Amino acid sequence: MLPETYKSELKDRLQKVGNPREMVVDVMLEVQEFYGWFSDEALEQAAVLLGMSSLEIEELATFYNTIYRQPVGKFVIHVCDSVICWMENGYGELIDHIGKKLGIGMGETTPDGLFSLLPACCIGYCDHAPAIMINKTVYGDIAPAKMDEIIETLRQEK
Amino acid sequence: MYPQVLLKNRKKDRILSLEEYREMGGYKALHDALTDESFHPRQIQELLLDAGLLGRGGAAFPTGIKMKTVPDDAPHPRYLVCNADEMEPGTFKDRVLILTSPHQLIEGMILAAYAIDAEIAIIFIRREYETAARALEQEIGRAREAGYIGKNLFDSEFDCDIIVHRSAGRYICGEGTALLNALEGKRANPRKPPPYPTVKGLWQLPTEVQNVETLCCIPHVLKNGVDWFKTLAVSKTGAGTKVFSVSGKVNRPGCYELPMGVKLSEIIEDYAGGMLPGSRFKACMPGGASTQFLPESMYHARMDFDDLKNAGFRLGTGAVMVFDHKTCLVEATANLMVFFARESCGWCTPCREGLPYILDLLNRIEAGEGEVEFIPMIRQMCSHMNYSYCAFAPGAAAPVESLLTYFEGEVMAHIENRGCPFKIGKVN
Amino acid sequence: MPKLIIDNREIEVPEGIKVIEAADRAGIYIPRFCYYAELGAVGACRICAVKFVDGPVKGIEMSCMINAQDGMVVSTTDPEARDFRRHVIEWLMMNHPHDCPVCDEGGHCLLQDLTESCDHGIRRYKGKKRTYVDQYLGPLIQHEENRCIQCYRCSRYYQEFAGYKDLGVMGIAQRIYFGRYAAGVLESPFSGNIIDLCPTGVYTDKPSRYTGRRWDYERVPGICINCSLGCHITVSARYREIVYLEGRYSGKVNGSFICDRGRYGFFYANLEERPRQGRVRGEDVPSGRAITMAAQRVKEVSESHGAAAIAVIGSGRSSLETIAALTHVCKVQGWRGPVLFDSRVSSESVRTAVSCIAQELAVSMKEIESADFILTVGADPINEAPMLAMAMRQAWRKGAGVAAIDCRSLDWPFQFEQVTAAPDDMADFLAALENSETTVISDRFVAQIKSIAAKIRACHRPVVVCGTEITDSKIIYGAAGFVKAMRQAGQEAGLFYTLPAANSYGAALLDEIGETAEDLIERIESGEIKALVIVESDLWDTFSDRQRLIQALEQLELLVVADFMATEILHRADIIIPTLSIFEAGGIYVNQEGRAQWSPPAYAGGTPIKITGQGGHPPRIIRPDIPAGDISPAWRMAWWLADRQPPASHDLLLDWMGKTFPVLEKAANFTSEGIRLYLPEARRKTARETGGRKIQSLGEYLLLPVAAVFGDEPMAQRSPCLEGYAKHPEMWMAASDARLFDASDGDAARLQLPYGPLELTLRLSERIAPGTLIVYRCPDLFWQQFARSSRFIVPKDRIRIEKKA
Repeated sequence: MLPETYKSELKDRLQKVGNPREMVVDVMLEVQEFYGWFSDEALEQAAVLLGMSSLEIEELATFYNTIYRQPVGKFVIHVCDSVICWMENGYGELIDHIGKKLGIGMGETTPDGLFSLLPACCIGYCDHAPAIMINKTVYGDIAPAKMDEIIETLRQEK
Repeated sequence: MYPQVLLKNRKKDRILSLEEYREMGGYKALHDALTDESFHPRQIQELLLDAGLLGRGGAAFPTGIKMKTVPDDAPHPRYLVCNADEMEPGTFKDRVLILTSPHQLIEGMILAAYAIDAEIAIIFIRREYETAARALEQEIGRAREAGYIGKNLFDSEFDCDIIVHRSAGRYICGEGTALLNALEGKRANPRKPPPYPTVKGLWQLPTEVQNVETLCCIPHVLKNGVDWFKTLAVSKTGAGTKVFSVSGKVNRPGCYELPMGVKLSEIIEDYAGGMLPGSRFKACMPGGASTQFLPESMYHARMDFDDLKNAGFRLGTGAVMVFDHKTCLVEATANLMVFFARESCGWCTPCREGLPYILDLLNRIEAGEGEVEFIPMIRQMCSHMNYSYCAFAPGAAAPVESLLTYFEGEVMAHIENRGCPFKIGKVN
Repeated sequence: MPKLIIDNREIEVPEGIKVIEAADRAGIYIPRFCYYAELGAVGACRICAVKFVDGPVKGIEMSCMINAQDGMVVSTTDPEARDFRRHVIEWLMMNHPHDCPVCDEGGHCLLQDLTESCDHGIRRYKGKKRTYVDQYLGPLIQHEENRCIQCYRCSRYYQEFAGYKDLGVMGIAQRIYFGRYAAGVLESPFSGNIIDLCPTGVYTDKPSRYTGRRWDYERVPGICINCSLGCHITVSARYREIVYLEGRYSGKVNGSFICDRGRYGFFYANLEERPRQGRVRGEDVPSGRAITMAAQRVKEVSESHGAAAIAVIGSGRSSLETIAALTHVCKVQGWRGPVLFDSRVSSESVRTAVSCIAQELAVSMKEIESADFILTVGADPINEAPMLAMAMRQAWRKGAGVAAIDCRSLDWPFQFEQVTAAPDDMADFLAALENSETTVISDRFVAQIKSIAAKIRACHRPVVVCGTEITDSKIIYGAAGFVKAMRQAGQEAGLFYTLPAANSYGAALLDEIGETAEDLIERIESGEIKALVIVESDLWDTFSDRQRLIQALEQLELLVVADFMATEILHRADIIIPTLSIFEAGGIYVNQEGRAQWSPPAYAGGTPIKITGQGGHPPRIIRPDIPAGDISPAWRMAWWLADRQPPASHDLLLDWMGKTFPVLEKAANFTSEGIRLYLPEARRKTARETGGRKIQSLGEYLLLPVAAVFGDEPMAQRSPCLEGYAKHPEMWMAASDARLFDASDGDAARLQLPYGPLELTLRLSERIAPGTLIVYRCPDLFWQQFARSSRFIVPKDRIRIEKKA
């Protein structure tokens, strides 16, 4: 359950905007941040806060790609699969390497709940292809060694 | 070296501060526009129209004309929306522009808002650009403290505030009308004009949507004049500079601000450091994933909206994606179709169902299951994409159509060899 | 008026309509999936592409997105347009399952038709089909999402048109899914329309699943009689039972849609327990024999006690033909009746409403959609006349304001402003709105009333909707007065009443006296009446004092009950006579705006094969006649009861009705839109004949049993598939009153009533009028034990609240 203080703070903010719908994406993202993913409970809480039906929230949650309706790890690795990254030399090997390093395939989460691997469309760092985004941070010029380093650092960080 | 305007004084790894921006003459255009009593906001529209500033988000619609479509007696509040939802594969110029000089964008936005008397300006930015979003929020705060944003700017009657809105993520959100639905907390399906957003946009109120680069140009046009802006270009009809984001098989991918109408060969050879060692130029997409492949015969083409249009191509966003002779264009095109099929909003049939169909045919060709009759099928479906709801599907069809037009031989080789020549070693 | 040419045919059409609609008017059908006249055009499916050959628009465009303009030359048969449409179908069929043989939509599937007509025959796509998991959407609608072609009709209808938020579109791109957040019963009482709207078999009718193909059915254009609106329906019958009902377009009444009560309210006609043969003192006899025996017994009573000792009760659920026949027979025989109203309050309210309705004041339900302000007084459309709520919502969507004067906690699928008023105060509020006289109303409402009055004055086409259930004749008369005043002030104001039953209006037209069941019971108690003939009446359920009713019935020498439904009262009858339902006999019903509409029979009657064959098919018992095929319509029976000969045919009956009853003189000339019937000036009430009753005093509570969309209407509540939709017994109380009891929402309320205690769940709302207790009628609630009159006063000390655990 969301803490009451958090709920009342959100309600205050919602009251200030003209139409609560304006805030729907922000609320979904914030509630998702609290739960780690946009679980049914998160969705239902967001619906209550926004005065919308669960279905109305689901219509949005399943449309936009930064809302996770399945559990994800603490670090969500979005691997760009669009054309520029794809045509970098060694892209295929890099993807295999990441999968092997984490022991998971695309769309999966490591058993320790630390990492999820998701394909992503172009993240706008084509000058640093191949690029990945982990949570909100973008990493460019990824090679297997650099990827290992990033993963190890994040493991330490947890 | 061509004159630098938008990327002038670009710092490595940091933004231009407010002070630095001011030292370069920043906010002077805003100051002058708001303090000169003889200057009417509508003159901004005229100036931009005379300067020949065309929208830099890909559609190349004249900025001045778009502003003029906001009726004089239109209701308030009015909105100015900066489209920073740069999601087209190969395009990253807006990110570089924001991270070079956020104040340039802020000033451009306030001026654009002033031109249509909009009191609320919103930056709609993709979530992957969190660094840029934070920089903007911070600099908006500074600009507010400095009196460039807020109420009664420069003691005028004009109020304007800027809000940063992070997208929940979808390529279609970058489509101007879908963006409005996204801002309203709806599914980002495009809206069909009329009414145009400038008449009934966000919350059914007048809304002007402009691209980051377009907005960044505005202070410079006002400060340096229409003629100056026009002479920046080296093509017959072009005006201003263009920020090209170059990627792919070149030595120095990145953003380069060059005159509108610069030759493609010049961009690749003189700025992007030429092709990678061992790579030969085969094709390039001039303006992101929704533009046609430029074949080798276009290597010296002038990169200008009109020049490319007259030759049957589109400059788009000026995202130059370079492909070399070792890259299979069938597979590359299939990759693009994966993107488009995945990002279709699902509203209209051609886009929702037709793109996956085309993708399936391309995949079959690539996998060696292609048939000769696939080619007319694909061609026909691509031409039918023109009758979809918004510009997304025609854009998605553009690379496929040009693949069949300029690289039919490569496609046929896949079919005849029952496999990809690049994978079965028929290409060196 | 733009003139354009479509397929070489010139047509002139009104300004602002789309090319697809223009083509419809010219009789040229352009394929469509997402386009639906009442939902508007959205350009999603792209199947309506045509070629604009000349004029202001050129090239291939969607005919639903382009306004018909002068000088347009349009070709629907252009090869390029046809090729594009063929591709659209091919794309839609990429994932559509080939399960047509087991799909209930097969045979009337728009996708099937257009796949054929757009010339897509051979599957070229080699990929796999996508599949989805279906959802349970309740007992009425079957969901099969694999068949979906993403036309968006259902979500647009459900959310935009109807205003409910539990069905919509999820996912993106090729993974779009139409359904609910989680499996469960659809919340909208208008959900069934998605069956009619879906161009293929995603939503199909669940109760009739796997029953047959459309061409197997006997189909007729019918009228719904589950409330007073008279919505148009299409009836499908097979094997001597009704299979399903659909909405049928009416430009005057309901548009295309109907409510779920109407759509699923027909099962009473199929039920096994329905009387299908006569019964005389416990013995089954042929229907005709029962009528002869009844006529004989009635004659005996008449001979021993006089004709006035015989009384007839009818009701507003009978056809106009039956009511006319009963009226005639009573008159010529000297019998008392027919009594067509249960209570004095109801009789007065309905007859006042009918006397106030006049050609120039009445608006049709469809006209309500173009109102620019709607004021309701003591009316709860969603529960009393559901489709009216839809019409009001359409007006609201176009910008109309809605204000309600009511004592209930109204819950409508659109925004409105409620003035919470006790029934006794409504007339004052109405007067205050009309003449700005605010001294009689409580101070705290003055500002609100003034603001609503200003809004009403500022609009051009206001409509006053007035209920007849919780209002008195003063309010009903006042509503008409208000409308007249507005019309005099130059506004195109309209009047719209809701009535308790499908033919309440018809009853009031023919009933000049307005005697009620309440009056009759008194006469039975006094021994004046010895024989009672009850024809198609729900007295058992609607009479407010069941104990008294039972005692009165026991005093009778003869009780004859004629009905097409198995009402409780049958068990107490000496003679039972089965009658035909509207689906078998047909019938004229006059809706609440005075529109008499004819619903033809859908089949000849008889016991359903499902029952005679005991589930087997074909039936194993071979006989020359139709089982229970000898039942007569109630109007014929009426004449026979009096030992007289009825008109020989329905046409002759209509002629006779027009000649016998001046008010029905137009009855013989029916049109598909029906005919409008109004009381003559001489029979209209004057202000002096109407009055309000101040019945409540301080410290007392007024207990109001009110209508509920499900579980209340006597016919629809017999539908097995609607059982779960009825409310549970609840009592709504004003939040301010609840503080006096220290009660909170969800507590148990225990009422000490004359016939014993009653337990209900307590519900609180700020919008309940203080001093009022609202109870929605439902099957689980024995409200007939409330008190000895139709309005119930409960002293405060008779209410006990038990805190919920």
